Amino acid sequence: MAVKSISKRRSAVQSVVLPLIFGAALITAWQTGLLHILLNTDEYVLPYPTRIITIISENTDKIMVNVWASVQVAVLGLLLGSLLGYLIAIFAATFPKFGSGGLTIVSAFNAIPIVALAPVIINWTKDVSSEAEVRSTFAKIIVVTVVSMASMSVNAYRGLTELPVFSDDLMKTYAAGRLTEFTKLRLPNSVPYIFTALRVSVPGSVISALVSEYFAEYVIGVGRQIRENILIAQYSTAWAYIVTACIVGIVMYAILMVIEALVMKKRK
Amino acid sequence: MKVIKKIIGSKLFITLVWIAVIIVIWEVLAFRVAEVKRTPENVLPHLTGVVDSLTSSKTINGSQTALEMVLENAGATLSRAALGYVIGIASGFVLALLMSLSGIIEKIAFPYLMLIQLIPILGMAPIINAITGDIAISRIVIAAILTFYPVAANTLAGFKAVRREAHELMYSYAANKFQLYTKTMIPACIPYFFTGLKISAPMAITASILVDTLQGGIGLGCLLSQSLKGAMTRYVFWDIVFFSAVIGILSFYLMGVLEILLCPYKRLEKKGR
Amino acid sequence: MIGAKEKNNIEIMLDNVGMTYDAADGKKVQALTSVTMDIHKGEFISLLGPSGCGKTTLLRIIADLLQPTSGKVLIGGETPKEARLKRKYGMVFQSAVLYDWRTVIKNIELPLEIIHESKAERRERAVKMLDLVGLSEFADHYPRQLSGGMQQRVGIARALALQPEILLMDEPFSALDEFTREKLHIDLLKIWRKTNKTIIFVTHNISESVFLSDRVCVLSPHPGRLSAVIDIDLPRPRAMEIRDTPEFTALVSKVRNSFEGV
Repeated sequence: MAVKSISKRRSAVQSVVLPLIFGAALITAWQTGLLHILLNTDEYVLPYPTRIITIISENTDKIMVNVWASVQVAVLGLLLGSLLGYLIAIFAATFPKFGSGGLTIVSAFNAIPIVALAPVIINWTKDVSSEAEVRSTFAKIIVVTVVSMASMSVNAYRGLTELPVFSDDLMKTYAAGRLTEFTKLRLPNSVPYIFTALRVSVPGSVISALVSEYFAEYVIGVGRQIRENILIAQYSTAWAYIVTACIVGIVMYAILMVIEALVMKKRK
Repeated sequence: MKVIKKIIGSKLFITLVWIAVIIVIWEVLAFRVAEVKRTPENVLPHLTGVVDSLTSSKTINGSQTALEMVLENAGATLSRAALGYVIGIASGFVLALLMSLSGIIEKIAFPYLMLIQLIPILGMAPIINAITGDIAISRIVIAAILTFYPVAANTLAGFKAVRREAHELMYSYAANKFQLYTKTMIPACIPYFFTGLKISAPMAITASILVDTLQGGIGLGCLLSQSLKGAMTRYVFWDIVFFSAVIGILSFYLMGVLEILLCPYKRLEKKGR
Repeated sequence: MIGAKEKNNIEIMLDNVGMTYDAADGKKVQALTSVTMDIHKGEFISLLGPSGCGKTTLLRIIADLLQPTSGKVLIGGETPKEARLKRKYGMVFQSAVLYDWRTVIKNIELPLEIIHESKAERRERAVKMLDLVGLSEFADHYPRQLSGGMQQRVGIARALALQPEILLMDEPFSALDEFTREKLHIDLLKIWRKTNKTIIFVTHNISESVFLSDRVCVLSPHPGRLSAVIDIDLPRPRAMEIRDTPEFTALVSKVRNSFEGV
C-alpha cells in the first residue's frame, strides 16, 4: 500500500500548485489585457498589475500614513468591541434568563447595515474634540466597536455556557464558588469560541473601518483614499489603495492565525 | 398565575422588555439632547418625531411624503439587492457543488474562497462602480459578491459534514453520483445553506445601500446622503436608519422562516439526550 | 470433507482474507491475517472481539467497502462488488443513519427509490417492513421523534427493504441501553426467523453474540486473526430466559476463554 502515501503526497503538492497556477493565469490575463476584454473595460479604469505596483512603490510613505490610520481604527475598535462583547456574554451567562434575551438584541445589531450606523455615530461624537481628526477617529472606532461586539458576545456566550457534560456538576462537588467556576471552567472553555468570533470580526473590523471612513469628517484612511481617488478619476492610485486594503485584510487575518496557533498549541 | 409566569418567562417577553429598556434610554437621552442642542434632530430625535415624520401627509420634495419617498427609494435599492442576492446564492451553491464533486476544483478554488472573505469588498465598491459604469449593475454585482462567500463556504461545510456512514449507505445501494447528491448530499446541506443565507441577507442590503451613496439618482443611500447634506429634513435620514435596520433584521428572520417551511423536521424537539 | 449438498448451501466464502495498511509512521499494520471460513445460507454468524481485532474490517471487506490485500471473498459465487451491485446485502450501522428530513416511511423507501421502484410498490414494501419491525404507527413521524432503539429498528427495516439475502450488521445495538438491547435481540431473532436471511453480526459483547448466533467467530488482535469458531447449539427459538441456563453460561465462558493475547 505504498501507493497510498505517494498519492497523499501528490495531493498535498497539488493543493499548493494548482491554486498558484490559477493565480498566475489570472494575473497574466490581467497583464496581457485579456481580463479587460472579458470585463469590457479599459486599462484606465483597470490598470495593469505592473502599473499598480509602480504606484505603490512610488507612494509608499503616503500609503503607510493611511494604512496606519485605518489599522489603528480597526484594531482599537476590534479590541474594544470584543471586550464589550465578552462582558455582555459574561452578563448574559450570569443572568441567563434576562441575559439571553439581551443577547438576541445584540445579535440583531449584526443585521443592521453599518452604513446606517456610520453617519449616526459621527453625529453623536461631534462634541468629543475640537479637532476633526480626533473626533473622526473616535467615531470610526465606535462603528468598528459596534460591529465587532455582536459576533464576540454571541460566540463567547456559547463558550461560557456550552460546557463539557457534567463539568459544572464536577465543580459543584468541589464546592467551588462562582468565581472559581468562572476562572477554572467557563473562561478556559470559552477560549476557542473567542477565536471563532475573531475569525469573523477581524475581516469585519477592516471592512467597517474602511466604510466608516467614507462618512467621516476628516479625510484619511485606505477606504477614503479609494473613494477620493475615484472621484477625481485617479483610478491607478485608487487601485493601489485597493491592493493595499486587501493586503491589510490578509495580514491581519494571518496575525490572528498565528496568535490562535500559539494559544491553542498549549491545549493539544 | 401559571399563565402569567409562563408569559414572563418566555423569550419573546424578555426581548420585548429589552426593547422597552432601550426605548426608555433613547428617550431620556433625546430629552437631554433637546435641552442643549439647537437642532436636536441632527443628533438624537424623539422617537415620536421619527414616527410622526413617517405618518405625516406633508410633502417633502413637493410631490411625495417622507414615507412615499423612503418606500420608492427602498424599492430601487432592495430590488437590486435581492437580484444580487439571488445571483450570489446561485453561484455560491454551484461553486460549493463543483468543489464537492471535483477534488481538483476544490484545490484550485479553496484558497481563493478563503481570500474573498479577507478582501474588503465594500471598500472596492467605488471601483466596481467605475468598471461597470452603471450604478444599478454595481449594486447587483457587489450584493452578489458579498452573498457568494458565506453561501459557498457554508454549503461546502454542509457537504463535508455528511457522515461517512451515509456515504457508505448509498454505496451499499450501488447508488450513482446523481442519486448520492439528490437523495443525500443536497438535502443534508440545506441547514448549512440557510446559515449562509441568513448571514448574507443583511450584508446584501448593506452593500446595496452603500453603493447608492456613491452616486446620485434613486436609492436609499442617495436619499440618506441628501438628507445628511441638508437637502431635506433630517427626519428622512432617521427614517432610513430605522427602515434599513428593520429590513436588515427582517431579512435575517425571513430566511429563518423559509428554512422552517422547507424543513418541517427542524421544528421538532430532539427526543431524549 | 464437505458434501456437495452442503457446498451448495454456502453463501459466503472467505479464503485466506488478509488486510495490511500503512500506519502514519510508515509501519505496516496487519489488521487481519488469513481468515478462512464458510458462512451458510440462513446462518446467524457473530464476529466477536475487542477493538483492533479486525472484525469491522472483515465486515467492510465483505461489504465491498474495503479491498483485501490478500485472499478472496465470494458471495454466492460472486465478488463483493458484483454482490453489492446486485444489492445482495443490506447494511445496518452502529447508529441508525436515518435522514432527518425524511419521515420514517420515506426513510425505508429510500433504497427503493434508488432502484427506481414504482411509487405504489415502494409504499407497499415499506409498510410491510415497518410492520415487520413493529413500528407501523410511527410511519409519519420524523426520526428525531423516535427513541434510539426505535431508530435502529427503522434502520433494520430499511436494510431489509431491498429484500437482500444477507444482512451485515456493524455493532448495531452497542449504543443502546441494556434493556432496549435485550428487547431488540428478541425482535431481531423474530425478524430473522420470518425472513430467513443470512446475518453477519459484529459485536464486542460476548453474551449478545452467544444469545443471537449459530456460530461465534472469535477474533483476536495484534495481529487481527480468527482465533476460534464456536458452535452455539442452544435450542431455537430462544427466549430471554435462556440466558439464565447453565448451558448458556458454559458457552459464554467457552467463548471468553478462546481469546488470545487480550
